[in-house]
Amino acid sequence: MLRLVAWSALGLFCQSSLAQQGKQDFAAQLPASSLSGDDMQHSAERLLPAPGFANASVADNPQAVGAKPVGESTCIACHQLEADHFSHTLHALGLHAASKADPAIPVCEACHGPGSLHAKTPTTPGLIIAYTQHAGTPISTQTKTCLACHAGGAREQWVGSVHQRNDLSCSDCHNPMANFSGQGLLAKNTINDTCAQCHADVRLQFGKQSHMPLPEGQISCTDCHNPHGSANKTLLKTASVNETCYECHAEKRGPFLFEHAPVRENCLTCHSPHGSNQHALLVAPVPLLCQQCHTAQGHPNDLQSPLSLGNGPHPDERIMGRGCLTCHAQIHGSNAPSGPKFHE
Amino acid sequence: MSTVFPGVSSQQHASLRSRVWIALAGATLGCWSMWSFAETGLGVDSGRSTALTPLLGIADEGLDPRGSSWLRPTARRSPSGNLYQCPARSAETPDSADWNFSGVLRVGGVVNSGDEDNALRQRYVHWDSGLILGLLDISVVRPADGSYAQFRASRINEDDQYYQAVFGRAGAYKVQAFLRESPNILSDNAKSIWNGVGSNRLTLIDGLAPGASSPAQVAAASAAASNRMLSIRREKQGVEFNAYLSPQWTVFANVSDEQRRGERVFGGPFYFNYSASADGGVLETIKPVADSTINLKGGLRYAGNTWRAEFRYAGSFYRDRYTRFDYESPFSLYPFLPNAASAPVFQGQFAMEPDNNYHNLQASVTRRLPANGELSLTAGAGRMSQNDTLIAPVNCQGVFGVDANGSGQPEPDNPLLYSCANWNTPDSLSRRTADLRIDTSLIRAHVVLRPVDALSLRGDLSFNREDYRSTYLALNPLTGQYGYVTENGSQGSINPAAPSGAGFWDANLNPSVVTRIRSIPIDKQTTDLSLGGEWHVSKANALDLDMDFQRYEPTHRERSQLDDLRSKLTWINRSLDGLTLRSSYSHSSRSGDAYDYDPYVFAYSTSLPGYVVPPDGTPAYTVDAMRVYDLADRIQNKYTFTATVAPRHDMTVNATVRAERNGYAAVLGRQHSDTTGATLQWEWQPSPSTSASAYLGYDTSELVLANIGDQDAGSDPSLGGAAYPDDGRWWARDEQRTRSAGASFFHDFGKLRFDTHWNYLRARGTTRYQFVTASALAYFPDGTRVPGNEFPPLKYAVNSLSVGVSMPLGSRFALRIFDNVERGRVSDWHYLGFDANRVYDHRVYADGGPQSYNANLLGMLLSIAL
Repeated sequence: MLRLVAWSALGLFCQSSLAQQGKQDFAAQLPASSLSGDDMQHSAERLLPAPGFANASVADNPQAVGAKPVGESTCIACHQLEADHFSHTLHALGLHAASKADPAIPVCEACHGPGSLHAKTPTTPGLIIAYTQHAGTPISTQTKTCLACHAGGAREQWVGSVHQRNDLSCSDCHNPMANFSGQGLLAKNTINDTCAQCHADVRLQFGKQSHMPLPEGQISCTDCHNPHGSANKTLLKTASVNETCYECHAEKRGPFLFEHAPVRENCLTCHSPHGSNQHALLVAPVPLLCQQCHTAQGHPNDLQSPLSLGNGPHPDERIMGRGCLTCHAQIHGSNAPSGPKFHE
Repeated sequence: MSTVFPGVSSQQHASLRSRVWIALAGATLGCWSMWSFAETGLGVDSGRSTALTPLLGIADEGLDPRGSSWLRPTARRSPSGNLYQCPARSAETPDSADWNFSGVLRVGGVVNSGDEDNALRQRYVHWDSGLILGLLDISVVRPADGSYAQFRASRINEDDQYYQAVFGRAGAYKVQAFLRESPNILSDNAKSIWNGVGSNRLTLIDGLAPGASSPAQVAAASAAASNRMLSIRREKQGVEFNAYLSPQWTVFANVSDEQRRGERVFGGPFYFNYSASADGGVLETIKPVADSTINLKGGLRYAGNTWRAEFRYAGSFYRDRYTRFDYESPFSLYPFLPNAASAPVFQGQFAMEPDNNYHNLQASVTRRLPANGELSLTAGAGRMSQNDTLIAPVNCQGVFGVDANGSGQPEPDNPLLYSCANWNTPDSLSRRTADLRIDTSLIRAHVVLRPVDALSLRGDLSFNREDYRSTYLALNPLTGQYGYVTENGSQGSINPAAPSGAGFWDANLNPSVVTRIRSIPIDKQTTDLSLGGEWHVSKANALDLDMDFQRYEPTHRERSQLDDLRSKLTWINRSLDGLTLRSSYSHSSRSGDAYDYDPYVFAYSTSLPGYVVPPDGTPAYTVDAMRVYDLADRIQNKYTFTATVAPRHDMTVNATVRAERNGYAAVLGRQHSDTTGATLQWEWQPSPSTSASAYLGYDTSELVLANIGDQDAGSDPSLGGAAYPDDGRWWARDEQRTRSAGASFFHDFGKLRFDTHWNYLRARGTTRYQFVTASALAYFPDGTRVPGNEFPPLKYAVNSLSVGVSMPLGSRFALRIFDNVERGRVSDWHYLGFDANRVYDHRVYADGGPQSYNANLLGMLLSIAL
């Protein structure tokens, strides 16, 4: 706590006295690392290293040729408030622990690159790797820096993905400088709010009468989509639309004794996943939904009118309530030997 | 405990606790056995919350009054131009302790009033008046080695809650366990004429006799039945784990188990009622939902400077408590044949969804190439299978069909009456279990080259295939007949003269019956080649061109080959200060080989050697001009436009416009499908103590289809022919318009933090139609009533306002009071008349449809810093 108070005082002092005192000189008065140099360093050394941070090194900044690392303490001299917020993140926890175990592991400069030139001329864009608009760092440099540690896994398909091609940076969705979200170091409080920055139209579709429980917080956009890139269409996390749906609707997987071909082909043939004004996310009202394909002789192809509704003169089961589905209830496929028409 | 979790009995507590402990124990064990975690690239469950967490329960922390930086007074922006939020106030964490502790407990209560049980409002949030746990969040970290642990919980009621425990060491491993229960309320006004709702056997309530009740009796029973709520509750537990084995190697895995319990409206066919007054039966039954799914995922990953690789397994195991679902029909049946009687058929059945297994293995390797390139190769194989015990074709007892001679016995002189014993036993099946399997395979290659900074080129090639490995033959070894029993035996008991008879084909008795005799395997494969390039024309302009060719090859469909050629051009512009523009246009042209309107002959009795073509010819399967829209020729154009503008340093405006136009080459079938959407968002963050936002949204969709009513069961499939004369043609246009608006405002009045949110959505659907002559209609106008040209509008509107005030009570306590008033209006023409009546002749409906509501939720939360 004493150290925190001291740093705060130094921070305030920094603002007023930097003009008189060189930043490098001032930084030299600070500890080498924000948390190093006390008894905890010894206990950390007894523990296994954190492999995820073991290879962390000073990021390469092509725009700051000749720059040298200056260490976290120098950065904090001017960026103490940022450091305060950053200290509550998982990145800070890991980098600080790794830095204590191996002082060669940088903290701020692992992501921002060597800071000496920036410290000398802090207003020159590009001398430090920055992740904000107009900061002078190309987006390709930003993402490359993040991928230096986060390559593979969910980011395996980032290069060439639709978000990469739209020139998005990691920091359009993430802000690792503070703990805004419960997890994922997002730029907004939730995954869904983060996606809605650009996809507000999709977010609004979840307000329609039938929708999946995204506004209620039970699911998130990333349950179905991988925003970091995917080899699949529309950034889906699975090889097909149906595989995505089966993650929560495994009962629809089958295979069934009698399949409904468009169902097996693609759930989106009939459903609009982001919301619909129809019942059950349907793309059209029943029976018109079914009548887009079914013209067979008999009953499927008659044009219904309001006369056939429950308050009409000729109520008709083909349009009332769930319409066709009242009889063809197993529309997703039937496992009954008497189910070719999905009656059973 | 009971004060924190009101309404949960001690037995439920024990159950809940045991599940929590099982989950936590699993997490602990998982740590040692290398279980793992979910991420954006793997599986669902990427986040957990309740309705309290994202909106109503927040806003008592406040934002850090110091802002985010001492070097600049305003918030910075993301590269695309959106303002970053100001961080919340964070607790001071002493760095001298071995473990630093922080925590918050938010407990309180809500009063739910108005139409409190309305299913439309409560669909996914089951508000109950009573105590709530807004949030329990306990965190400990040990800076010395980066260890951390967190417990997080929120609870609205027993149907709507989650508990989550995480521990790990940053950069080393992470273990997470969770328990989540979420509601899905489907109806609050269901009426049942059956006992046993929730089970897999519905029996008629007292006063109704199976197969012998009049519509008036059934209507009276339905009217007397009290409204009941139908819902499905999901309970899910899971353990997730990942760990670094070295700086390059990581292992990950997760396992989850989800149970669903509840009931939903379903169906129950006993032949048409529309075509024969006081006959048949159309029953909206209530089906049980009682199943569980175990999902497994795991793998090993390598990420080096030159090579990356991943080996992954995914498995899913679905188990349904029931194999079958039985119900009783209250109605008696009458044959179309004069001077005859229908068999007393009243027992209906469904096969429940089969237990199924899924396995998938996938391996991928990526190598960095010269010129900042990458080459990735992926191969995968999977299997979906099920071998559920098959139910018998029918569950009637005695006889079904038409008793033509009055003997009541199936005999040569009574050929339309059949013995149930020949069809209600597994012995009547060609096999006892389903024995079905689909094998999947996947191969992908992905290459990216970036020869110069301003230019990157990419190519993708993928191949997906699904193979059905077995088919089912509908052959009854007891009778030697092919086919099945239609609609629980009711069709054969009412209209055995229908082209499909009673549902089965017999070489001697009914050699002209057209019925299904085998399942249809829908093998398919997709080959996709994509080439693209990204060119940064200048510092402020980038272009991206993508060319994609997809060949889809299904079997046993109307087409065996479908080619889709798509091109997409994207332009990103940042020329103007504070403005980011992204726009794209894509054009797709889909076409295929010859369209076969009836590719299913092999699956029907018409393919059997003894099939006899009836005198008027085999009825046409469908009209040859119909084009199913998933396989029809299609021209698609898509436009997207997004702009992010910073009119002031503390303000952001976002605008999006998207449009999609689909034109289908279909004389009959879907002809057009268009959507358009636009949004406008405004965000203002003048200081940490004040922020506001607002939005407008507009969304419209239009769908046009054409169809034709047939005039007889003829064999001519041609449009305009005898079976499908042009005067039966009709068209329909469905148009949905949705308008939405909203605003939020936060402000700190000294120590009082005020927040308000308003959300409004109004949707209106219009379904219009036109027809050549009245012969297209399901019913001919009777002279006094005309069918008009549109349905009543489908309406849905929600207007919701939330207001909250948070105030500190000393250094550790804060109080939050909030109120949400919401008004919902809905009108769905499918349910018109259901408020007065659920029984129409031989039709019985359980669900009354969505209902309008007015509701208020008043809540108070006490926040305690632990």
